[in-house]
Amino acid sequence: MKAFRALLRSELSVFLRDKAMLTFTFLFPLLFIVIFGYLLGGTGSASGSKLGLVTPTGVDGSRLESVVAEVGVAQLQRYAAPGDLEKAIVARDVDFGAVWDGATLTFVYDIRRTQENFAFEELAQGIAARFDLANQGRSPLLDVVPMVEGGERNADWFTLVVPGILAFSILSAGLFAVAGHVTSMKQRRLLERLVVTPMSPVALLAAIVVVRLGVVFLSTLATLVTAVALFHVAFHVNWLYYALFLVAATVGTMGLGTLLTLVVRQPSSASSLANVLSMLMLFVSGIYFPIEIMPSFLRALSMAMPLRHMADAMRYTTGVMDMSELRFWMICGTFLIGGLALLPILARYVVRVDRR
Amino acid sequence: MRGIVYLARAYLATALRERITLFWFLVFPLFVLALFSAIFANVGQTTSLTFDIAVVNLDRGSAGRVDFAASVASTFRELSQPGASGSEPLFKLHEPAAGGGDTEATLASEIDALKVGKRDAVVEIPAGFSDALLKAAEASTGSALPAEIRVHTSGGRTSSDMALGIIEQVLVRVDRHILTQLGLFDGARVVVVGRQEVGSENRALGYVDFLLPGVVLMGFLTAGLFSVPGTILFGRERRILRGYWVTPLDVPRFLAGFSLGHLALCALQFVCVWVLGRFAFGAHVNLFQPLPMLYLVLSVATFLALGFLVAALARTPNAGMAIANIVNMPIMFLGGLFFPTGSVPPALRVIMMADPVTYLADGLRASVGVNTASFPAAVSLGIPCAWIVGCAIVASLRLKWDVGR
Amino acid sequence: MEPAALMKVSNLIKHYGDVHAVDDVSFSVPKAEVFTLLGPNGAGKTTTLEILEGIREADSGSIEIFGQQLRHIDRATKERIGVLLQEGNFEPYLKVREVLRLFASFFRSARSPDEMLREVSLEEKAGALVKNLSGGQKQRLAIGVALINDPELVFLDEPTTGLDPQARRNIWSIVSGLTASGKTIILTTHYMEEAETLSQMVCIMDHGKVIAKGSPRELTARLGQETIVDFVAAEDSTLPETLASCCTIVRGEGGLVSVKTNDLAATLGRLLDWSRASCTPLAEMAVRQPNLEDVFLSLTGRRLRT
Repeated sequence: MKAFRALLRSELSVFLRDKAMLTFTFLFPLLFIVIFGYLLGGTGSASGSKLGLVTPTGVDGSRLESVVAEVGVAQLQRYAAPGDLEKAIVARDVDFGAVWDGATLTFVYDIRRTQENFAFEELAQGIAARFDLANQGRSPLLDVVPMVEGGERNADWFTLVVPGILAFSILSAGLFAVAGHVTSMKQRRLLERLVVTPMSPVALLAAIVVVRLGVVFLSTLATLVTAVALFHVAFHVNWLYYALFLVAATVGTMGLGTLLTLVVRQPSSASSLANVLSMLMLFVSGIYFPIEIMPSFLRALSMAMPLRHMADAMRYTTGVMDMSELRFWMICGTFLIGGLALLPILARYVVRVDRR
Repeated sequence: MRGIVYLARAYLATALRERITLFWFLVFPLFVLALFSAIFANVGQTTSLTFDIAVVNLDRGSAGRVDFAASVASTFRELSQPGASGSEPLFKLHEPAAGGGDTEATLASEIDALKVGKRDAVVEIPAGFSDALLKAAEASTGSALPAEIRVHTSGGRTSSDMALGIIEQVLVRVDRHILTQLGLFDGARVVVVGRQEVGSENRALGYVDFLLPGVVLMGFLTAGLFSVPGTILFGRERRILRGYWVTPLDVPRFLAGFSLGHLALCALQFVCVWVLGRFAFGAHVNLFQPLPMLYLVLSVATFLALGFLVAALARTPNAGMAIANIVNMPIMFLGGLFFPTGSVPPALRVIMMADPVTYLADGLRASVGVNTASFPAAVSLGIPCAWIVGCAIVASLRLKWDVGR
Repeated sequence: MEPAALMKVSNLIKHYGDVHAVDDVSFSVPKAEVFTLLGPNGAGKTTTLEILEGIREADSGSIEIFGQQLRHIDRATKERIGVLLQEGNFEPYLKVREVLRLFASFFRSARSPDEMLREVSLEEKAGALVKNLSGGQKQRLAIGVALINDPELVFLDEPTTGLDPQARRNIWSIVSGLTASGKTIILTTHYMEEAETLSQMVCIMDHGKVIAKGSPRELTARLGQETIVDFVAAEDSTLPETLASCCTIVRGEGGLVSVKTNDLAATLGRLLDWSRASCTPLAEMAVRQPNLEDVFLSLTGRRLRT
């Protein structure tokens, strides 16, 4: 117990004195949130779109205008001639345009806005369909009423990103605690020095786990608070599940780090490999962009990514997305049991003296 | 002169032999290009996705007349059959057993399944739907409310949002079909819809043409920000650099050799990325012209200078890597390399305007016709040059070329 | 006649705050000889050498090298010197031949890398990466680099520290061959055997100062005709009065006793008598001439090896 307390103090001091590690752990997720918060405002959603309209003199555009208003375009801007509309589209004064000459309704898009045009095209389809009806004096017979069940009612993509970032910071903390911190201690032969004392490796690992847990709690909370304060995202956090998941995920990702140490030849390669893997996972786990827009083989691949399930679990504990209780407990259980099962292997790694 | 060439060769050999460097500088940009192209080329086309939906019909049908509810339900049934060419259907349909069971209970259980992700959407045709639809059809325009169809989606699930969009489109078609069947709509008098694209002479532009210059710049940025501090700081700490200073080699010649090697690495990077973009993803942009080339070389120089700035500000290799990691992400994203920089608050806008990547990306894209330049050429070229000069000044004042002098 | 001096150092001073790293150091280095700076860690040897190599600047003092007075080492001088750094390194992912070629390119004229590989016995490792070399091989490469420009003056800063005895002997044989070809070597070491084996001139330093200068024989001759008898006895054993009165006795760690005497025969007799009488075995007994270690001890009261 004495050894554990002393190791806990020393692990904590080492962590707090490593300014690079501190900045990375706390600042990085905050940076992600801030940047993505501002960048993602509006990607993929066409609400708030601006439409430019041209109807040459002599053509009645009022019906079209009222249809446009019904469909949900935020702003309508009239232009005198198609040339003016083109200039406005290129200059991004409007997002897309419509030209109605009495017979043909032509929609005009900026070809370079490849990521956004599909949303404008959907709007355009809606406008065209409604306009057809209005031209023949009809209103739609059907009205679709969307109803959101469970999860966060107004969850936009950014609300989904935040728990993903939290999941990633847990992954980094756990992964690099082993494939970074422990391997660096092994490389610098600090472990050898500790191991020749009566200290049990379990005490050291327990101290590392406790410090990492503390770090993970603090950094995820700080990130959540930032997201709420800056972007007014609504989370309904189930704190018990949140805490339980954090513990399970930290232990589990340390287990992942242990697996990496078994694979590499040199301790110093472990953190490089961890860097590579976590970066790859970040891209295909549905954190930067939704899994649904990925090709099917990538979607299948993402199911094998621990980060994917961590992100889903975080979305569940923060109330953004619903999930079956069974799945949540299975995720927690897998991480916890997996991590605990790998602990003896990690302990052996700590104790083993490598022949040079 | 020989010294400069040999230093360049040594730089390149070292970069290519160290596996981790090879990964970040060559493999990673290729990976980003491939991934983003694969993903965003498909954006808006959901043909590869099949949505799991349930349709629950609570309507008993209008007395004696056409059962519109059943007709809606059968539309979804048709769309859940495999396509003519054997392609995947749009929907995977879950329907309660015909004629039996408590449909309200079925609805509740489907909604439960929806919440935990077993369904992407639940289409509820409420009781009285057919009657309401008939009333709307018989009334003159606007005097009766349309018949409601409720589409339940799961909060926080993108697939659910996407399913909603698809279902809305389907129901628009159903609506028109019913109107036509009732003789209330003349399909022959449909408005002709056309499409026009503006903004570039190059009609064949795709996302990869927008992406490729961004990935090239990202590769240069990574190379400059990470390899410079890594090599210089590591070399200083391990006294590799000191081994040079005891020979007639001086700092300016060393820098020349170093920069030449760095340029060669970036050129190799560029060629690999371009080859992949051109031959695997069909990129059309022509970067082999004077103005794009100028921007490319300017980018290499700017990021190299940034790397030296980081090396000058860090005392140890670890600190240098940490600084590089922290500034890498904002510089990349705020410079508009991957996502269009929409509305950002003043604080971030200041960073954006100071970020050399903003100008290099804008200028490079404009020079190949993927963009209209947001800044005049003098600014797009001038700001990065100012950064080069600034970094050079700071580095020359602060960068220590040897330990413990 | 004294050999011509290739380098003359006068009144060199380098302070770091209160620490006098180099405190008024003067010596001259004869041509085509091995000149050694000997002293314990922290004596100022490496700082002195780094000033002469051009890595550091002295606070004051003058350096005359190749007949020219210099305030600091310039580029022209660097063309004519070779340096083996203490704890120096090469890019780990370069091959041995590439390292030699790289350094050769820094000089106006240089020897061929293949020739150097032969000279330092690294032909088999020509294509090996630096990171895969053993400690001894790395040091041989470093010597090869130091000699690539066929320098007239070579600085070797602790060339055998951390090497196993076999590797150390390899380095010694390379160094010995260098003066035969007319090169002047300035060596620093804290190994007394190295200084004795290789050097024609030794300069002993301690706490930044030169405390003795001369050839190894001249230095040990200062201790007179003394012979030293070493043996190991129990730490609490009391040596006879008769010994203490005629000899200098120094007790070291591990029960080591060093008896310095001008009359070997008499001393040996007294020791043997005492051993028989007190039943104290004279374990590991050896009779030897004084060495530089003893010189250092007599000057400072401390051993070279800390």
